Amino acid sequence: MPKLGLTMTEGLLASWRVKPGDQVRAGDVLFVVETEKIATDVEAPSDGKIVSLEVAEGSIVPVGTTVATWIENVMPLDRAASSRGSFSNATRVIATPLARRLARQANIDLKAIRGSGPRGRIKARDVEIAAAQQAVLRAEADASSPAASAAPLSRQQRRPASLSETTVARRMTEAKRNIPHFYVIADADVTRLLKLREELNAAKGEIRLSLTHFVVAAVVKALKRFPDINRVWDANEIVTLDAIDIGLAVMTERGLVAPVLRNADRLGLDGIACACEELVTRARRGRLTEEDLAGGAISVSNVGMFGAAQLIPIINPGQAAILGVAAVRPVFRPDDRGQPSLRQELSLALSCDHRVLDGVSATRFLNAVAEILAQPLTLLRR
Amino acid sequence: MPELRYIRAINQALADALEADPSVILLGEDVSAAGGAFGATRGLRDRFGAERVIDTPISEAALAGAAVGAALSGLKPVLEIMFMDFTTLVMDALVNQAAKARFMFGGQRSVPLVVRTPHGGGLSAGPQHSQCLEAWFAHVPGLKVVCPADPASAYGLLRAAIADPDPVIVVENKALYATKAEVPEVLEPVPIGHAAVIRPGRDLTLVSYGGAVHTCMAAAGILANEGIEAEVVDLRSLQPWDEATVMNSLSRTHRLIVVHEAVEAFGIGAEIAARMADIGFDELDAPILRVGAPFMPVPFSKALERKYLPSADAVVQAARKVLA
Repeated sequence: MPKLGLTMTEGLLASWRVKPGDQVRAGDVLFVVETEKIATDVEAPSDGKIVSLEVAEGSIVPVGTTVATWIENVMPLDRAASSRGSFSNATRVIATPLARRLARQANIDLKAIRGSGPRGRIKARDVEIAAAQQAVLRAEADASSPAASAAPLSRQQRRPASLSETTVARRMTEAKRNIPHFYVIADADVTRLLKLREELNAAKGEIRLSLTHFVVAAVVKALKRFPDINRVWDANEIVTLDAIDIGLAVMTERGLVAPVLRNADRLGLDGIACACEELVTRARRGRLTEEDLAGGAISVSNVGMFGAAQLIPIINPGQAAILGVAAVRPVFRPDDRGQPSLRQELSLALSCDHRVLDGVSATRFLNAVAEILAQPLTLLRR
Repeated sequence: MPELRYIRAINQALADALEADPSVILLGEDVSAAGGAFGATRGLRDRFGAERVIDTPISEAALAGAAVGAALSGLKPVLEIMFMDFTTLVMDALVNQAAKARFMFGGQRSVPLVVRTPHGGGLSAGPQHSQCLEAWFAHVPGLKVVCPADPASAYGLLRAAIADPDPVIVVENKALYATKAEVPEVLEPVPIGHAAVIRPGRDLTLVSYGGAVHTCMAAAGILANEGIEAEVVDLRSLQPWDEATVMNSLSRTHRLIVVHEAVEAFGIGAEIAARMADIGFDELDAPILRVGAPFMPVPFSKALERKYLPSADAVVQAARKVLA
């Protein structure tokens, strides 16, 4: 069982992709591990033959456990020579100079980090993530978390929670307990937006824009206007983020994940749409990396397509706000002359961390989001 | 802001220098009666006379030797060498005489001489009329080398070069001669040794000079569509070059690519990469890459030349590699 992150102590062997007797080539997926947040494919480091599988699918085993035995192929001479650089000295850590400096400064052992660069090279970003994980680990150790004893459930309903379900449960419990949540609710008039979206989507060959794309774009625009909202609480420090990164709650077969859309302020509406779709696709295929899940101060969670009147979500740990988006519903509103006018509205609920945000700033921000959605043409400008 | 052509910026710099300082003279093949092979000296003979705008015989060695002598005896000659490829013939005057005089005369004399010469391909001019040989000159202590990428710096660097007490090689990319750009109302000298960040970005640094600066800007545009922000540094001066500006940029982006039209091997890019690998080591989050021409003479054929010259795509590919 490989150690796939600093915080990983055990892993769930979710599924085998090989069986005894299989010949594998370097890079073939051997098995899938469910870790703290995501599922990871574990690849063969070199060519070889699987002898036996030692751990059954669905078992949780400690890091370092032998999960299978295999015979590594003796490589042909020319290949052995050409690949000596990557295999001969497995203990040498390959890291960029900047990564080494950051690791030195943060007192992090590079040996414990898996590099995401070419040939497994450790890059600065890998060290930053490891440092962040270490900080989380420390915070978790500080806060004791006794498990509440549940009332006995009907036996037929019982099954052990998967590692990712356990993790989600733990993170959400911690978030709800440790983050002082408060909530601001507003309605956004999306009559014009729906019309604009229909017109834009009538064009063939362009990416289809969803309401979520518009909401993400509106959040980005509002964040630009109120950069103070883009901050998080981190161990008694208030950190204001320079980059506008937006989390996106995505339902997958493996559970809920919230990958982060990077530098969303640099993307136009189409760019946001493409980037969202790319994240959603990867999330559903289980191809997210730890890096995809870190950072950002705010997430968007849209359950409108399932018809909710309102969604009041729990903040993702590490972030300071989350916007719950509900379904569009027709309502009569008085127009200028007091006559009923049919409008399309949706309800927005912003859950906020009171350690870094307050009611006034959160209300201003949420109103800005609602205003932008009501005047959607502004979203066509960067 | 008014627009100005690169070649007109050079013409104006020469005119303003001739006007400002009576010791400035121009020397070269066809610079006087014909106004220069590319038109850089057009109209200057009529304004300043044939004694100051001098047509020489077709002997680069002779005109360079005469210029070094004139410079040592108090004039400020500006030579035009019609193609940088022909600078092979001025090497003794520049390398052994002009570059050394200040040091060998104990600082009592310097050689305030300027060589203007066009380099670069893109015109199907073939292997003997397209070379980028600036690294040769940058390798010689005592010579300064500048290479402007736009009209304003073409004007400013040439004025600074003429005002400089030491020999300066002003390399002009001939493919840029016809290009136009906005310039300030009042053109000013551009100090030698200072680079300019012409596009800010935080993901990687593209360092370049001359025509390749425009290749980098095009590449930065393509990368921006993918959300990658490349910072583009126009070196302007190659010797001395602005180490501080490059280092500063690298400290923010942690990734460096040097791009030039000259062949990659043993070039300006090699020098910058080596220096940054030294003083910038702890800032690097990826290997330093170079994008330059292959180690081959410049081909005549348009199709081959297009392949030969470093393209925006090649820069984009290099960017992807340092960001991997």
